[in-house]
Amino acid sequence: MPILAFDLRNNMTKYLLKRIAILLATLWVVITLSFFLMQIMPGTPYNSPRLTDEMIEIMNKQYGLDKPLWQQYLKYLTDILHGDFGTSYQSANQSVTKLITQRLGVSIHLGFQALVVGISGGLLIGAVSARNKNNKIDGFLSVVSTLGISVPAFIIGLLLLDYLGFKWALLPLSGWGTFGQTILPTFALAIPVFAQVTRFFRSEMIETLNTDYIQLARAKGMTNRQVTNHHAYRNSMIPVLTLVGPMAANILTGSALIEQIFSIPGIGQQFVTSIPTKDYPVIMGTTIVYAMMLMVAILITDIVISIVDPRVRLG
Amino acid sequence: MNKWKKLATAGLAVATLSVLAACGNGGSKSSSSDTSTINWYTPTEILTLDISKNTDRYSAMAIGNAGSNLLRVDENGKNQPDLAEKVEVSEDGKTFTATLRDGIKWSDGSDITAEDFVYTWRRMVDPATASEYAYLVSDAHVLNADEVIAGEKPVEELGVKADGNKVIFTLSTPAPQFESLLTFSNFVPQKESFVKEAGEDYGTSSDKMLYSGPFVVEDWNGTSGSFKLVKNDNYWDAANVKTETVNVQTVKKPDTAVQMYKQGELDFANISQTSAIYNANKNNEDVIDIAEARADYLVYNETGSVEALTNEKIREALNLATDREGLVKAAADTGTNPATAFVPKGLATLTDGTDLNEFVSQPYTFDKEKAAQLFKEGLAELGVDSLTLTITADSDNPIKKAATDYIKELWETTLPGLTVEEKFVTFKQRLEDTKNQNFEVAFVSWGGDYPEGSTFYGLFQSGSAYNYGKVNSPEYDAAYEKALTTDALDKDAGAADYKAAEQALYEGSHYNPLYNLSNKGLQNPNIKGLARNSTGLDVDFTYAYKTK
Repeated sequence: MPILAFDLRNNMTKYLLKRIAILLATLWVVITLSFFLMQIMPGTPYNSPRLTDEMIEIMNKQYGLDKPLWQQYLKYLTDILHGDFGTSYQSANQSVTKLITQRLGVSIHLGFQALVVGISGGLLIGAVSARNKNNKIDGFLSVVSTLGISVPAFIIGLLLLDYLGFKWALLPLSGWGTFGQTILPTFALAIPVFAQVTRFFRSEMIETLNTDYIQLARAKGMTNRQVTNHHAYRNSMIPVLTLVGPMAANILTGSALIEQIFSIPGIGQQFVTSIPTKDYPVIMGTTIVYAMMLMVAILITDIVISIVDPRVRLG
Repeated sequence: MNKWKKLATAGLAVATLSVLAACGNGGSKSSSSDTSTINWYTPTEILTLDISKNTDRYSAMAIGNAGSNLLRVDENGKNQPDLAEKVEVSEDGKTFTATLRDGIKWSDGSDITAEDFVYTWRRMVDPATASEYAYLVSDAHVLNADEVIAGEKPVEELGVKADGNKVIFTLSTPAPQFESLLTFSNFVPQKESFVKEAGEDYGTSSDKMLYSGPFVVEDWNGTSGSFKLVKNDNYWDAANVKTETVNVQTVKKPDTAVQMYKQGELDFANISQTSAIYNANKNNEDVIDIAEARADYLVYNETGSVEALTNEKIREALNLATDREGLVKAAADTGTNPATAFVPKGLATLTDGTDLNEFVSQPYTFDKEKAAQLFKEGLAELGVDSLTLTITADSDNPIKKAATDYIKELWETTLPGLTVEEKFVTFKQRLEDTKNQNFEVAFVSWGGDYPEGSTFYGLFQSGSAYNYGKVNSPEYDAAYEKALTTDALDKDAGAADYKAAEQALYEGSHYNPLYNLSNKGLQNPNIKGLARNSTGLDVDFTYAYKTK
C-alpha cells in the first residue's frame, strides 16, 4: 500500500507540474493577444471630447503611452511579474489589483451562494425526478429544468425582480450590502445551475439504478430505499463534481448582466464598462483574472475527479 | 435515512421561506420618516474622489458636496460666497482677489489656508497630474496656464498666488466664465501635505480624503456601490446645514430607481431614461424638470471633401427638411425639447432673467416644399441629379440610433434624389472620426462646462479643435471674439454677441440643431432648498432639508 500511495503521488506531482506549465503558457498567450488586440480599438483611454491633440500627447507621455508598443508590452509583462497590474484610467489613482480583488470578492460571494443553492436544489430535485421516473412528477420537473436551462439567467433575474421586488415588494430591489439584497441575484444565478444539475443528476441516478452492483444489492435483500441511499446517491454524485468547476467559472464570468440588473459592484460590471472606456489596465487585469479562473477551475475539477475516482487516468 | 432526508427537505424549505420572509421586511422597509436623512442614487458607481483628476459627474456630486470652493451656486443659480468672504474683480477684469473667511477648517480640524487654493490650481495644470480638465484653466486665460500645462514653465509661474488670507488670480485677458470656476468641484482646495502623504492612494476611498465642504464622504471603499454624505461639523456654516446624512446608492436599472422612489426608499428618481418610463410617470405630481447643459446636433463637413456640403443651398435644404418636433416624438420622447439654438435652456440668463437660449433662438422651421426646391437648385448647381450622404453616429446611444433612422427616412422622402446612409460607430471611434474630419454628416453631442455661452459658442470658431465640420464664418468669429474681449465683463452685451453668432450659424446653415436633451424626474416634494445646476455641481445638498 505505501508503495502505491507513493506512485500515485509521484504521478500526481508530474501531472500537476505539466498542467501548471500549460496553464502559464496559455496565460502568456492570452496576455499577449489581449494586449495587442486592445491597441486596435479606436480612441484614447481619456473621456473628454475637449482634449486637443497636444493635450492628449502630454497625457500619453505622462502615462507612458507615447513609447513604442513593444516597450509598453515588455514593461507590462515586467510589471505584472512584480504583481503590479497598473492604475485605472477611469477611477483615478485606483490600483487595478485593489479594484479587482474588491470586486471579485463581491462576485465570488454571490457566485458561491448561487452554486450552493443551485447544486443542493438540483441534487434534491434530480433525485426526486429519478425516483419518479417517467410519471407525472418527473414530467413536470423535466419541464421546469428544461426551462431553467434554456431561459438565460438575466431573464429569470428580470422576472424575479418584477414579481418579488416590484409587484409584491417582498425583497430589496437593488444594491449590495445586506443579506436581503443578495437573495434575488443569487436565485437568478442559481436557477440555470439548479436546472443543469437536476437533469444531470436525474440521468446519472437512473443509469446507476440499472447497473449490476445495484441489482446485486437488491438481490442481497436490501430495500429499494436502502439501495438508493447507500449506493445510488453516492455513485451518481461523482459525475456532478465534473460540472462544478466549469459552472463556477461560468457564474463568475457570466454574471455581468445580473450585476447590472441588481446594481452589484462586482467584477463582471467592471469588465464590461472597461472596454468601451478603453481602460487598458483594467481590461488586461480582468482578462487575466478571468482566464486564470477558467483554467484553474478546470484543473481543480480534473484533480478532484482523479482523487474521487482513481480509475480516471491522469495525463 | 429516510427520516434524515425528510428532515433535510423540510429544513431547506423552512430556511428558504424564513429567509424570504425575513428579508421581505428588509426590502419593503421604507427609508424612514426621518427628516434629517435624504436618500439618493447614482446610475453608475462613483469612480474617484480625486479633486483634480475627476471628470465623472456622479463622482463630482460626492466631491462637490464634500468640498467647498470660494463660491457656491445657490438655489437660484446665483454665486454666493462660500469659503471666501468676498471675491473682488479688478476693473480690467484681469485680477480676481478672494478673501477667505476667518476660521475655516478642514474636516480634520486643521485650518484651510489660501495656499490650499493655490495648490489645487497648480495641481490641476501640473503635467504630472495629467488631468483631463486642465484645459479649463487655460480656456479661462489664467496667466501662464498654457506654458505650465505644456511643461514649459514650472507650476509656480501659474497666475494664482496666496497673500495672507487672500487668493489672487491673474488672467492674461478677461474670461467671462472665470468666476464660475470659483464654484467648481474640480477647484475646491486641497491640502498639499495630505495629498503628498496619501500618495498613490489619494482619493481612492473615503478615508483617503480630506474634506472642506458641508459634508464628508463615508463608507466608500473605492468600488462599493454606495456611500454616505455625513454632515461636516467643521464646516463654517454647519449651523445652517440641516441634513445630517445623505445615503447615496448605485441603482443602474432606471425602472428600479422609479420603483424604489414609489416604495419610499429614494427621494428622487430620473424618469427620462426610456420613453416607456417617461410616459408612465410624466403625469405624476412629483415630476420636476432637470435642465441639462447638452446640445445634440448635426455637423456638416465643410472642408471640401464632400462637395455637396460646401453648397449652402444643400445645407439649407437639409436643415429645412428636419422636423425637430417629429424627431423628438419619434426618438427622444422623454421630455426633451426640439432645439432652436446651440445653447440649451437653463444654462445661463441675462441680467433681467431672460434665458440665454430664448434670447439667441433662431426661427428653425420644417418646410418640405422650400427644402425640396432648394435641394433641386443645389443639385443643379453641383451638376448632378442625385446625392448620397452618410450620417456618422454613436452606436452606443439608443436615442441617437432612433433619431438617425428618423432623419434618414425624413430626408429621403422630403428631398428627391437624396440617399442617406447610416454609419454607427462607438463613441470613441466617432470622436476620432469627427476630430479628423473623417465624416460627411456627423451626429454630435456637446455638454457645457460652465453657465456661460462660450462653453458652447467656442466650438464653431474657425480655429477651434472641436469645430469638426471646419465651419469658417467671419461673422461668427467676429461676434464670438467680441463676446470674449470687449464684452467679457458685460453679460448682456455678451449675450447679444452670442445671438449674432447663432444667427451666422443659422443663415449659413452651418449646423443643424436637433434637440436639447432635458430630463425629468420624480422628487420628494418635502425636500426644500435643494440646488440643481445644469453645469458644475448638478445636485447640491448643502441647504437641502426635508419638511416631513
